[in-house]
Amino acid sequence: MQNFKKYLLLSFAALAFVSCSNNDDPVANNVTLEFNNTFKNNTIVLGDAASTSATTNTSAGGQIHHFSELKYVISNIRLIKEDGSEVTYNVNDLDKGATVIDQSKAASLSYILSNIPSATYKQIKFGLGIKPEINTLDQVRFPNFYAAAGANDTKMHWEWGTGYRFTKIEGFYDVDNKALSIHTGSTVEGTAPNYTQGVNAYRDITLNLTTNAIVGGSAPKIKIKADFDKLLSGKTNTITLGAGNATPSIHTAANMVLYVDNLGGNGSSDISGMFSITSVEN
Amino acid sequence: MKKLIGIVSLLILLVSCSSNDTDGIYYDNPEVSLEIPAGFPELNSFVSLNKLTKYGVELGEKLFSDKRFSADNTISCSSCHIQANAFADHNPQGIGIEGRVGLRNTPAIQNLIFMKFFNWDGSKLQLENQPLVPIITHEEMDSSILEVIGKIKDDAVYKDLFQKAFGDETITPERIFKSIAQFEYTLISVNSKYDKVKRNESAFTTAEAQGYATFQQKCASCHSTELFTDQSFRNIGFPINTDTNEAGRARVTGIPADYMSFRVPSLRNVEYTAPYGSFGQFPDLKSVLDYFDNGVLDADNLDPVFKNNAGKIPLSEEEKTNLIAFMKTLSDQKFIGK
Repeated sequence: MQNFKKYLLLSFAALAFVSCSNNDDPVANNVTLEFNNTFKNNTIVLGDAASTSATTNTSAGGQIHHFSELKYVISNIRLIKEDGSEVTYNVNDLDKGATVIDQSKAASLSYILSNIPSATYKQIKFGLGIKPEINTLDQVRFPNFYAAAGANDTKMHWEWGTGYRFTKIEGFYDVDNKALSIHTGSTVEGTAPNYTQGVNAYRDITLNLTTNAIVGGSAPKIKIKADFDKLLSGKTNTITLGAGNATPSIHTAANMVLYVDNLGGNGSSDISGMFSITSVEN
Repeated sequence: MKKLIGIVSLLILLVSCSSNDTDGIYYDNPEVSLEIPAGFPELNSFVSLNKLTKYGVELGEKLFSDKRFSADNTISCSSCHIQANAFADHNPQGIGIEGRVGLRNTPAIQNLIFMKFFNWDGSKLQLENQPLVPIITHEEMDSSILEVIGKIKDDAVYKDLFQKAFGDETITPERIFKSIAQFEYTLISVNSKYDKVKRNESAFTTAEAQGYATFQQKCASCHSTELFTDQSFRNIGFPINTDTNEAGRARVTGIPADYMSFRVPSLRNVEYTAPYGSFGQFPDLKSVLDYFDNGVLDADNLDPVFKNNAGKIPLSEEEKTNLIAFMKTLSDQKFIGK
């Protein structure tokens, strides 16, 4: 009898919940972007030169490699509704709308977009890197992002270009574990579209969701794969480290665009780069 | 009634204040007009956006030598940009806090008002955008602009100078950058013996005159104009800096043809700025000339001046001696404070 009472109570409670969600769908909810950094389908484990646990990958050019450090900046996030209209997420505020994805910090792999209007979404857009007009290391305007990106264990300030690093990859290649060090960032001066000089390394990514994300009663999770196999074996460029079309250490705009296009697409024939949607959990 | 008296006396106070101001310090911040000698290239186009004023320049000069710009308060702009060295120094590469060694040779700060590009790679086109770089760079001051402002904001001398220069005491990054640039714009070197010869106030010695003739024949295609640089970027086959951060101009443009190209440096005050080269490869002028004479490193993008001449600028020992004599006529003792 006691148990029966409990069940009765529970079912009332359940009913109450159901009726709640029927009548009072929240006007907004969270959307979580969950990044899985991989070599093909294997989630990357970082490791130093002698590491036996680090995930290794072999490029199209036959070069084995692994990473000890893997970071990149995501900003300018937009969600596209079923009807094609766009919801922007603090696209001009790096403190509220940008983040550093850092493979060494599990918490950084999930980025929660808060207060997304209830609707059905079919597509997501975001930037790999930061668009030129706000890529200025402005500590006054965006103190939180400036501090987070500039922290000693993050080092995403590109000081000489007075902008942010967009990607920072450290690792090792070939059987003798030579160092690789690939940094990307923008060097443009002037204003779009008439830059007076430099390279715009910002890339706009567009991904169609495999299942619509339904924001409202649920707070969907969008799982995004970033496949770093593409770094050397991309849709745009096949890169062999050490000789030929690239050098293994790129902190500069010389040859940097090869990597930028592989990771973030070339902006025309490739607008997804290394990114793809694994699943959407509503 | 008491209130009224209070307000009235406050008003009187205000009035008397502002009448003081008109004949004195607060609003009298006249524009600084610079004497631009004839024959120099036109000014950098951004200069007009930052009017030089008496107190803006004074503030910039003070900021320029303030060691609180560095994380540990040991280094100011003027620690590396030393007036006696034409605002360069004698280290092969810049040295920042804790003895950290930078990527490149400290460039002289002179005649920047005429320059279209700043830094060895021309990464900056507007001087006001430059000071942030050394402030935040790990190998230089390793600080941040808000850290700097935090240290100087309660300094009464700065409060007064910001008030005079910008109308109120507020210290902002933009005001700091503008005033430092204003000071740097005033660093114009145009009183060398060469200038005096041009103005018929002096005459070259025989050696200097012969050096000048050689210079015009073998050097002036790059070291042209009254700035003694055509402000182009060239790979002239100097020994290469193997630091992976170095790509020369290509790190800005991403263009392979710019790989290891550097801005042609001005030769003004070159006597005071040894060592030479983008990371101080050459200890003295003679070693630079010997290098040109012996032949430079080949590269796909080696400048045509060398590519088309077997990688050399042939120079006799006499020509080298005379060239150095001529280059020393570009020394401006007044500029370096002698």
